[in-house]
Amino acid sequence: MTGTLYIRGHSPLHRIPAGIKLAALCLFGLALFALDNWIVMGLAAAVSLGLLASTGIDPAQARRQLTGPFIIVAFLMAATALLVDPLLGLAVGLRLMALLVAGYAVTLTTPVSAMLEVIERLFSPLDRIGLVSSAKIALSVSLVFRFIPVLIDQARVIREAQAARGMEKNILALLVPLIVHVLRSADDIAAAIDARGYPPAHGANRGNAHEHT
Amino acid sequence: MNTRDIVLIALFAAITVALGLAPRIPVAFLPVPITLQSLGPMLAGAMIGPVRGALAHVLVVLLVALGLPVLAGGSGGLGMLAGPTAGFIFGWIIAAFVTGLLCRTWTVSGKARPSKWADVGLTFIACVIGGIVVLYACGALWLAFVAGLGLAKAVSGVAVFIPGDLVKAAFAALIAHNVRRAYPIELK
Amino acid sequence: MSVVRFEQVVVEREGRISLRIPDLVLEERHIAIAGLNGSGKSTLLRLINGLVLPSSGRVTVDGIDVAREPRAVRRRVGFIFQNPDNQIVYPIVSEDIQFGLKNIGVPKAELPLVTAQALKRLGIEHLAERQSHLLSGGEKQLVALAAVLAMAPSTILFDEPTSGLDLRNRNRVRAVLMGLDEQAIVATHDLRLVESFDRMLVLDGGEIVMDDTPVAAIGRYEAHYA
Repeated sequence: MTGTLYIRGHSPLHRIPAGIKLAALCLFGLALFALDNWIVMGLAAAVSLGLLASTGIDPAQARRQLTGPFIIVAFLMAATALLVDPLLGLAVGLRLMALLVAGYAVTLTTPVSAMLEVIERLFSPLDRIGLVSSAKIALSVSLVFRFIPVLIDQARVIREAQAARGMEKNILALLVPLIVHVLRSADDIAAAIDARGYPPAHGANRGNAHEHT
Repeated sequence: MNTRDIVLIALFAAITVALGLAPRIPVAFLPVPITLQSLGPMLAGAMIGPVRGALAHVLVVLLVALGLPVLAGGSGGLGMLAGPTAGFIFGWIIAAFVTGLLCRTWTVSGKARPSKWADVGLTFIACVIGGIVVLYACGALWLAFVAGLGLAKAVSGVAVFIPGDLVKAAFAALIAHNVRRAYPIELK
Repeated sequence: MSVVRFEQVVVEREGRISLRIPDLVLEERHIAIAGLNGSGKSTLLRLINGLVLPSSGRVTVDGIDVAREPRAVRRRVGFIFQNPDNQIVYPIVSEDIQFGLKNIGVPKAELPLVTAQALKRLGIEHLAERQSHLLSGGEKQLVALAAVLAMAPSTILFDEPTSGLDLRNRNRVRAVLMGLDEQAIVATHDLRLVESFDRMLVLDGGEIVMDDTPVAAIGRYEAHYA
């Protein structure tokens, strides 16, 4: 699970800085929502697909990621076409496809650390008020990744203990002890973090989480 | 916000992500399988309160944006934040907040313990209002906007998932009640 | 080596006094704190690095008041918790070691070297790129120790470091403990772990009831509490 969607490569998209890609994606989205013309949407979708192809992604993997959302889009397209207007339905479907594919292409070509840096920069005005800091963000992201496998393992331990007592179908009996365990650990985990000098003094910790992905 | 808050926020974000890893339940005529993930915001709100529960789901959105496959089915990435289900994903933040706010207002944690069924019942209603009414409003609004459908049609489209989510709300209420008995915690 | 001083310290919880230490100076190299569960061992330890604050009185480390300047104290006093799962914060071992280093301001360029040295010291350099959750209990405890040692503390507090470890891992941790140059204050049930320490305190009901060399104290402790 600890994998990311990012794939290594040297495509043009890979080489564009993350901030620029994000800004471009936002503008792209805004432009698409400002219009309803199916031809424009079709062009946008074609461009997106071209961008996706340029990333070098394995088509089977792309299919696996996009199939789910595409089915929903097909559904919506049909609904709008039947209930409102066929050409609008077409525009809607193509627009959503364009956005999904373009977003996916950006995600494929942007490593987590680069994206994290952009987001930290975006949040830096809040940093001055003292609300968020890059140290907090990096720590939170890493904590989530640290604890997902622990949750899964703990869930399995509890599940096995219950299977031994014939209770494996009971979701309550799984989630209650799991969450209690998690809450109890939170105090010690927080203490351990404090004991290691967190929070860092004035911007000492400009760390990036997940530098290994 | 102290270190313990950060840890709790991260832990409940991890719970929502982990719920997405549980097997999904495909239902024949639905384009979207039923996932346990929408249990996450209800649990977070009911157990760590509105602000921390909401921040936990801001963290989840952040993880999606970073390109991590944290949504049910291993999805993630910027595309999901602009796609049809984006309203629900962002809606988790508000759902957790509303659920938490109602739980904090209605339930008394501490010495004066209401009866078991009052506690569960009120938590259930909080989960329904936050985790279903508000969440679906967000989801449907986005769908209506993005698909060019009227709000009424969008709502009737997603309404089919509501019964399943009512069951989830009931579970969330029971889980929250039992957890609170074992380990009472303030709702921030 | 640091000098830890307790002056008229009282810790109150829910209206009851859970720990009372009128006067205590800790400056030996290896100090053991024994006592039954609930006797206050953990609380005493946590007073030293400010995870618990005294309700009255004060604790100082090298003259620094822990309540006033916990950050300065934590630069010189490390803490190893009982459950290693609760102290490894990052998903990859080397990242976790670097977390503490970054917090104290070690420059980015020096991080890989300092990290490698910390792991090498305990003979666990091979764990550097491993995923934290896949380590064994003993390995996790050693990683946690490496993370603390990397911050070059003068004193390390250990809260039941060997509970939950099997015999082999317990011996491993014991060997590491005895070989430490840093000052170690260890709260434990594992009397074998601390039998060659310099000093042993025994707590009972929140008060110090024995303060002697381990050889003398262990005999009386076992006779009294077995």
